[in-house]
Amino acid sequence: MVSPGTRTWSIGEALAAPFRRLSSDQQRWLILTLVVIGALVFPLIDRNEGDIDAAANATAFAVLALGLNIVVGLAGLLDLGYAAFFAIGAYFYGVTSSWQLHPEWSSFWEPFQWLGVVAHYQAMGENVVHFTLSFWIAMPLAALVAAFFGVLFGAPTLRLRGDYLAIVTLGFGEIVPIVVRNWPTLTNGAMGLNGVQAPSLFGYSFGVTSSPYYYLGVALIAFLIFVSSRLKESRVGRAWMAIREDEIAAGAMGVNRVKLKLLAFAIGAGFAGATGTFYVAKLQTATPDMFMFPVSVMILVMIVLGGMGSVYGVVLAAVILQLLQSWFLQDLSGWLHVLGRAVGNDWMQQIDLTQSIELIFGIILVLMMLYRRQGLIPATRATKALTLEQQTALPSRGTIDVDLRVVAPGELKPGTAMLEVEKLLKTFGGITAVKDVDLRVEPGSIVALIGPNGSGKTTLFNLITGMNAPDRGRISLLGEDITGLPSHLIVERGIARTFQNLRLFSNMTVLENILVGQHSHTKTGAVGAVLHTHAMLAEERETREHALEILSIFGNRLMPRLNQVAKELSYANRRRLEIARALASRPKILLLDEPTAGMNPAETIELAHQIKSLRGMGLTVFLIEHKLNVVNELADKILVLDHGEKIAEGTAEQVHAKPEVLEAYLGRKVAHA
Amino acid sequence: MTFQDVLIQQVINGVSLGAIYSLLALGFTMVYGIIELINFAHFNVFMVGSFIAMYILQALGLNGQNVILTGFSLVGVLVVALVGTMLLSGALGVLIERTALRPLRGVPGTAAMITTIGVSYILFNIVLLTIGADAFNFPNPMPTVRWGEAGVVLQLREVLVWVVAFLLMACLNYFVRRTKMGKAMQATAQDQEAARMMGVEVDRVVMITFFLGSALAGAAGLIFGLYYNYTNFAIGYTAGLRAFTAAVLGGIGNIPGAMLGGIIIGLIESLGGQLLEVRWTDVIIFSVLVLVLVFRPTGLFGRATAARS
Amino acid sequence: MTSIRRRMLLATALGAGASLAFAAWGGLVPAQAAEKSVTIGIDLPLTGADAEGATRIKYGAEMAIDEANAKGGVAGYKLDMMTLNDATASAGQYDPAQAATNAKKFVSDPHVVAAIGPEMSGAGKAMSPILSAGDLAIVTPSSTNPDITDPKFAGQYRPAGKAIYFRTVTTDAFQGPNMANFMRDALKMKSVYILDDSGAYGVGIANAYEGQAKKIGVKVLGHDQLNPKEADYTTSLTKIKALNPDAVYYGGVAGAGVKFVKQSYDVMPKVIRAGGDGLFGPEYLSAVGFPAAEGLYATNASPHVTEDPAAQEWVKRYTERYKVQPDDYAITAYDAALVIIDAIKRVAASGKEVNHSNVRDAIQTAKVKTLQGDVSFDENGDINSRVVSVFQIKHDPKFKDDDIIHQYKYIGVAPQSPAS
Repeated sequence: MVSPGTRTWSIGEALAAPFRRLSSDQQRWLILTLVVIGALVFPLIDRNEGDIDAAANATAFAVLALGLNIVVGLAGLLDLGYAAFFAIGAYFYGVTSSWQLHPEWSSFWEPFQWLGVVAHYQAMGENVVHFTLSFWIAMPLAALVAAFFGVLFGAPTLRLRGDYLAIVTLGFGEIVPIVVRNWPTLTNGAMGLNGVQAPSLFGYSFGVTSSPYYYLGVALIAFLIFVSSRLKESRVGRAWMAIREDEIAAGAMGVNRVKLKLLAFAIGAGFAGATGTFYVAKLQTATPDMFMFPVSVMILVMIVLGGMGSVYGVVLAAVILQLLQSWFLQDLSGWLHVLGRAVGNDWMQQIDLTQSIELIFGIILVLMMLYRRQGLIPATRATKALTLEQQTALPSRGTIDVDLRVVAPGELKPGTAMLEVEKLLKTFGGITAVKDVDLRVEPGSIVALIGPNGSGKTTLFNLITGMNAPDRGRISLLGEDITGLPSHLIVERGIARTFQNLRLFSNMTVLENILVGQHSHTKTGAVGAVLHTHAMLAEERETREHALEILSIFGNRLMPRLNQVAKELSYANRRRLEIARALASRPKILLLDEPTAGMNPAETIELAHQIKSLRGMGLTVFLIEHKLNVVNELADKILVLDHGEKIAEGTAEQVHAKPEVLEAYLGRKVAHA
Repeated sequence: MTFQDVLIQQVINGVSLGAIYSLLALGFTMVYGIIELINFAHFNVFMVGSFIAMYILQALGLNGQNVILTGFSLVGVLVVALVGTMLLSGALGVLIERTALRPLRGVPGTAAMITTIGVSYILFNIVLLTIGADAFNFPNPMPTVRWGEAGVVLQLREVLVWVVAFLLMACLNYFVRRTKMGKAMQATAQDQEAARMMGVEVDRVVMITFFLGSALAGAAGLIFGLYYNYTNFAIGYTAGLRAFTAAVLGGIGNIPGAMLGGIIIGLIESLGGQLLEVRWTDVIIFSVLVLVLVFRPTGLFGRATAARS
Repeated sequence: MTSIRRRMLLATALGAGASLAFAAWGGLVPAQAAEKSVTIGIDLPLTGADAEGATRIKYGAEMAIDEANAKGGVAGYKLDMMTLNDATASAGQYDPAQAATNAKKFVSDPHVVAAIGPEMSGAGKAMSPILSAGDLAIVTPSSTNPDITDPKFAGQYRPAGKAIYFRTVTTDAFQGPNMANFMRDALKMKSVYILDDSGAYGVGIANAYEGQAKKIGVKVLGHDQLNPKEADYTTSLTKIKALNPDAVYYGGVAGAGVKFVKQSYDVMPKVIRAGGDGLFGPEYLSAVGFPAAEGLYATNASPHVTEDPAAQEWVKRYTERYKVQPDDYAITAYDAALVIIDAIKRVAASGKEVNHSNVRDAIQTAKVKTLQGDVSFDENGDINSRVVSVFQIKHDPKFKDDDIIHQYKYIGVAPQSPAS
């Protein structure tokens, strides 16, 4: 804090003072209005066609960056072949609205002629079809075609680890221009398309004037900003970010990873396809060279510079880089030449800074990654903060009333176990991690699983929750066989879990973490998220209310930190948040993997009470725990695992009496000594 | 040439090409095995390596193909060039690791990979801006020796590529399997935390890994130059991508797998080009890559290290 | 939180400020013109893959303009240059989008009366509709793709009707076929394998060559593409060797060309290797070297002049000034500048205003004595003289290995029609 008395006022600050007096919302609106006005009047002030044209090209790259931002920034999928979709869109329009294909005219084409997609051309002894697909129809179609290719290439590869994906997309980015080049009948190959038709609107053709393209580009940017922002603040966007933060945990919270990744990939590809249409319409030609690897890298640089996931950041970065390339470095070189002539320095007269633009890209990538990974404008947390009143109005402790989807004992057929595991086997290489384990967890009970390190406890949890598939055996929930289901379906059925080493979505807020936890029982899709449908808004409201309910379990431990980023929480609070996140999925049974690890005795007791009260609400709990006092106090039944085998089962007393248990914990030799 | 001759000739071409890919693939696979990072900088460490080798040979008084050496002096020159190139390229690898990658150790996600793309761009453009876009006539003191004339031709330079690549791989294999540092590398690859607890200095292991991988890339740069009598600022991209594919094919993290993967990619390239068309080579190779990743993500020969939990 | 928001606001403000500032800045640019001067635009890929050739071309044009200025200008006008780079980092070479932007810069600047460039036909395709709309002529010293001046595509490349794309070189429509004639008649070629480098120029010239070769009864054993990014061409070359052709024709530029020449010598030292102007350049002497380059045939889409005594003196001046040797496209660039200078002179002499429209009309009717001889254009903008010169690399130890003027031996003119 700077004390006002010691401050000297600069002119800049004096000018900024009225601005500061505005509220932050007003400030934002003011800036946004200024930017929009600036963007709209720019072609009117600057009458130089060259500048407007450069700006129109820049809009295309800004749109591309926004599209890739969904893939890389939100969903965390490093796509190094993004230019391929750009190419697909470009060639889709290029081929369907030029003379490239001109089959013989036949009656087959009549319906298309009626639709206005083709024209019948008869002149100079030719009787052929001329493709004249309207730009305005081609653009959404190109988006669909590119999205289709996105799915086609994404489907087999999106299951792979992120870094493999980078390489596969890089390969795809190489293949597409090669195919374009090697298929001259369709694309005119390396010679490039000739005579792609310019868009026209109400009979006015855009032709080669830059301004209409510029405004169209600006409109596209505005549309994409709108779509990206809405997506980002929705269930879909949160699921993407969850995948980016921790794929496995996202799956465990009910996010269908493959589906959502494909969605991100398809949306990103679609935007690139639409931009391709725009770009080729503006140039009226296209060659395969326009869509090579450097284009993909340039777009990536824009995202890295602007901030991954930051909608406004990538637009700003796209503008900066384009200006740098087409204006600033050229002009700077020009000034240096003038200066060089003035001082008679030969080297300065020859210098060409535009040559170093790629070097600058490389340096930007490295420096941003090392020193400012969040980018120029960090992705802001869109989630609205709670007011102080809202926070304090909630119960700090005591009565908890949470709507958990628990199963009342009466609803079940007698004798049905909540969770039943039979003859479960899992081996890794030559090591048997879980060996023919049988177990039952009764509804409404707390069962503890103990055993020395490496005895297969976590593996057992992984098998139950679908992180690993068992080699043999059967797992059933309330009598339904769930063996081998993917993790997101298992959450949907009612098994939620926490992790031994904490797998929170670190860069998301407390509230967002819990909202992701509710993924499996919410429905909003991408369309609903963009259109803000009634159902979407209602669901959003409801999930927020439910999140607050869940958090109230931990009193005011997490409530005041609702909008803090998860990685900034204390260790114990992170543990609590993970439990809250799991509860948000409305489980029937909760699997806790060492919930009190790293907590001090007081915190441990508090958590044990909270677990007990959850059971009081009818929730079944199955936990791995090392602290025997916790186990003894909570558990109705204890299971002991050693070398993957169940060696004991029963109440605390029964288990402690078993010599095998002692042996497992203290070692064979000691026990027999 | 009978068709059989052509096939044999293409196998010779493919294996020579594959040997270069193998050396490059080793660098990818070792780094990936230890810190799970796809190192795009490796592409251009290879390119820089070929320039280092060219300057060393020029410093030894060789220019173009005018000076032909034989016997002891030939071996001497080649050994000096090889050792010098490997040391300097290795040092470049260590420099990259220390300055750009070590600060990002433990940062999740794609940050480190993006950094390596940046480093790759920097290396590429520094060479472009200082040395230029020209193609260079790589000095080669080897006499042109051909066995066979009308049919299958085997040349001395091909034999040299095979021998050097094989010796280097044998040394690497010995180092990784038999020496203490090699064992520390294997341990780190399997479980970094456990290795650290057992007293392995992980930072040092990572550094050595970068040194070895980059030194091999430098060696690949040298034999690339000797094989084609040519180098240029742009040689890294395609060769690097193919080599990476080779590493994936062989099971990334798997050292013998990378060697075999390189040879396989070389053969796919030469035989694929022969039987189909050269213009489709990249499509064939990347299709192989995608198919392998989809159906056998651990590569043809599996990961050498145990699966992690 | 607050600090993040403030930083965000600051950055947004910067963005807004920047766009306004650029708007204002851009508006000021045309105001700086001096009295009695006109500008000649130059558009070339000065960075990236084609930078070396582009720089030679730039020097050629620059030299003509500087010489005119040194003589006190043209009809009282001082000549300014507006040199723009059409290569971008995102393309890594010439970028049609940037070329289009540059064309708009030329068109929107009233002082620009004509332009020189581009080097690459891909850029030309993007530029010509814009230049046509602006009625501004461009004279290319090296882009040889025939589409742009083909009347078939006039609706696309000169929608306004008049020719605006002039060439001081012959198009690929002649360079490839004439060489096919030459190789059959003079080199007794009976079979050929064709390669190209998958670039617009390479594919165009190779296709034109292939068409003519088939027409005149030469057996075409195959046509494949080399990837310029790839290092190893032994696969293709081994495949070709097995087919045992008399000759291999390569259409493409030096990127793949250097590797093709080197490796083809290793694989099949005895086969005739020939190509277009893409095989003519210092790289083949310095980077390929001897013996691999020995015997290589190359063509140029212009009359051979660098050895003419008249041109000799010019070559000396160029080499002294720029420390590099000119290639024939440096000459065609010099000639392009001469054509424009002559046009400005005639417009000024006729008393009409020296503007782009009048200069274009004057270029159309040009009959200029240049280094390559008399230059005039047909109604499409193509040069009337369609001379294709043939060269062969023959090592001459009297000169330095990389002396392009003396190591490329002029063989003769490739005939436009084959001997029957």
